[in-house]
Amino acid sequence: MKKMTFLLLIASLILLSACSSNSEKAATTTDSGKKEITVWAWDPNFNIAALKLAKDRYVAKHPDVNVNIVEYAQNDIVQKMNAGLNSGSTKGLPNVVLIEDYRAQNFLQAYPDSFHDMSSSIKASDFADYKIGPTSYNGKQYGVPFDSGVMGLYVRTDYLEQAGYKVADLTNIDWDKFIEIGKAVKQKTGKDMLTQDPNDLGLIRGMIQSAGSWYLKEDGKTPNLAGNTALKEALLTYKSLFDANIVKMNADWSQFLAAFNSGAVASVPTGNWITPSIKAEASQSGKWAVVPFPKLKNVPESVNASSLGGSSWYVLNSDGQDTAADFLKETFGSDPELYQDMLSKIGIVGSLNAASSGKAYDEADPYFGGDKVFKKFAEWTKQVPKVNYGLHTYAIEDIMTVEIQNYLNGKDVDAVLKDAQGQAEAQLK
Amino acid sequence: MKTAAPKMTTTRLKAGMTGWLFISIAVIMIAAFYFYPMIQALILSFKTGTGSNLTFNGIDNYKRLFTDKMFITAVKNTFIYLIFQVPLMVILALFISVLLNDKNLKFKGFFRTAIFLPCITSLVAYSVVFKYLFSADGLVNSLLLNLHVIGTPIQWITDPFWAKVTIIIAITWRWTGYNMIFYLSGLQNIDSSIYEAARIDGASPIRQFFNITVPLLKPIILFTSITSTIGTLQLFDEIMNITKGGPGNATSSISQYIYNLSFKYSSDFGYAATVSYSIVIMIIILSIIQFKVAGEKK
Repeated sequence: MKKMTFLLLIASLILLSACSSNSEKAATTTDSGKKEITVWAWDPNFNIAALKLAKDRYVAKHPDVNVNIVEYAQNDIVQKMNAGLNSGSTKGLPNVVLIEDYRAQNFLQAYPDSFHDMSSSIKASDFADYKIGPTSYNGKQYGVPFDSGVMGLYVRTDYLEQAGYKVADLTNIDWDKFIEIGKAVKQKTGKDMLTQDPNDLGLIRGMIQSAGSWYLKEDGKTPNLAGNTALKEALLTYKSLFDANIVKMNADWSQFLAAFNSGAVASVPTGNWITPSIKAEASQSGKWAVVPFPKLKNVPESVNASSLGGSSWYVLNSDGQDTAADFLKETFGSDPELYQDMLSKIGIVGSLNAASSGKAYDEADPYFGGDKVFKKFAEWTKQVPKVNYGLHTYAIEDIMTVEIQNYLNGKDVDAVLKDAQGQAEAQLK
Repeated sequence: MKTAAPKMTTTRLKAGMTGWLFISIAVIMIAAFYFYPMIQALILSFKTGTGSNLTFNGIDNYKRLFTDKMFITAVKNTFIYLIFQVPLMVILALFISVLLNDKNLKFKGFFRTAIFLPCITSLVAYSVVFKYLFSADGLVNSLLLNLHVIGTPIQWITDPFWAKVTIIIAITWRWTGYNMIFYLSGLQNIDSSIYEAARIDGASPIRQFFNITVPLLKPIILFTSITSTIGTLQLFDEIMNITKGGPGNATSSISQYIYNLSFKYSSDFGYAATVSYSIVIMIIILSIIQFKVAGEKK
């Protein structure tokens, strides 16, 4: 009897310890002598598709390396990375991970020794200028800039024509003109001009970056809300959109997609990563065009280019980091042909300067009425103003969504910004 | 007893040892997976910083709670859910269980299963379904429009007031059946002769309900209201999946704020732990109040 209980106890203890040591091996050398690296990313149509192309090209040259691609939702990656890095162990974490630029500084500063310095593998100057701020820290280049996030205004040419406008009328316009056209479209066709999720301030982010401004000052820590002229103008514009009654509300991503796939809205101002989703509705082929992102009227710095939700690749400081760094160096870090491939096969506009011209960029896209949209995006990439996203983009945005609701309900715009500033200062210590 | 003690010691000791050996597994497990993390979280709640760069800052985090507008909004929202949803659900569950306890009711099993089914569905799955039912051009709006109850679609999810209503409807749908089961089992323990006697004395069904059913179910009502209170204070999945706390924090809950602090913002795990402990404190206080108000006197 006693022996039995003792055995039971030992067995359970073994089970306990086994649980803790049996975590996934991040990747090093497998039994067959092959080197293996694991990569995490989100969006099967965009990032994962790009990774597969990169993997094929890399493995062809390095048959001794196995690239293991794992798809997770972005939120899951953020959670897993935080939990893993916080525990101080890189077991179970990947070798390469995709991180959104808005969050990059947060990771680089919160876990300073956890990322591999890529300064010797890639040249920062090879990439679009505005991507360097988010991907570097303390003078070292950590990220390999990838998705440019460059914004454009996707428009329905058929609706515009019904309202008496041509694509040229929407090219290089400001937001006031956009609203004016939107009202006419609504009157003639009954369609809203754009769709917005009140919880997602992406449009405001796009507007302020077009003027080289951000929620935070240059240091990336001090809130820059009260007295931020670009932000104030963006809010005024945002309210005018709602006041003009040309906004269809949506509550989440799938409703956002449904709004334009079903033909309920006449334009989509957003990042170029939406291209595959727009083209997903084959019946609308030839009805879409892409024009530059509108600028803010009363802010002289504002240009007709911006970026939204770009992302970059990072290598973790763990076993296999040299292989991982080499993988990025040879693919996303330097291979213009890979970028041509990504463009023609998936429609990805990267941020490697050397890759911003070439045959694929000259290809006309019948979906967009035979327009060379990629060439346009590549050109806009060069004009996007550089800003420091800093540490607190999403924290400030949650403060702003509340204040913007108040603002839409009649609160004074200066009071809105002042209150938001006060809250942000109290909260972001 | 005293004289037998010396002889008993060895056998009793042996028995005691065996007993300890058996529960030691559970004790070690509970200590490792419950108490250790709880103490670690308590220590963490006195630290500040992003990610793994944490430094002690005394009770600053706890002071910060009282000036943190987002936290206060989250607490307010959570209490609104609590005040409306818990009584609503308890009364509804009580009502349904009394109906279903009727001896003459046919298809009893079917009704019981139908009302209990929601609480075995996945939280995320049902939340997503609710989000679509209540979207601006969703099923609920088109039904109401077709029945001419409303003229324009209600912005269930994007309007601050209606978003709260949607959340309350959702959690009521999900948890009423769960509480109903407790009441049903309670009702079956009430001797039918009590009702018989009441009927003979001429008590109406309503009178029977308030003077017999409710007092006899009191311990169960207390139990369900405490567990519902705890559940509501920890409300997360529905908020996260239906409204994400919006529009503009109008539906945010405390648990969702903890998630935001940890993963959406700049990974302030210290402060997130502080907010978690604030829930613990609130649950303790509310449970004591409920025990005092409704508890049995010993």
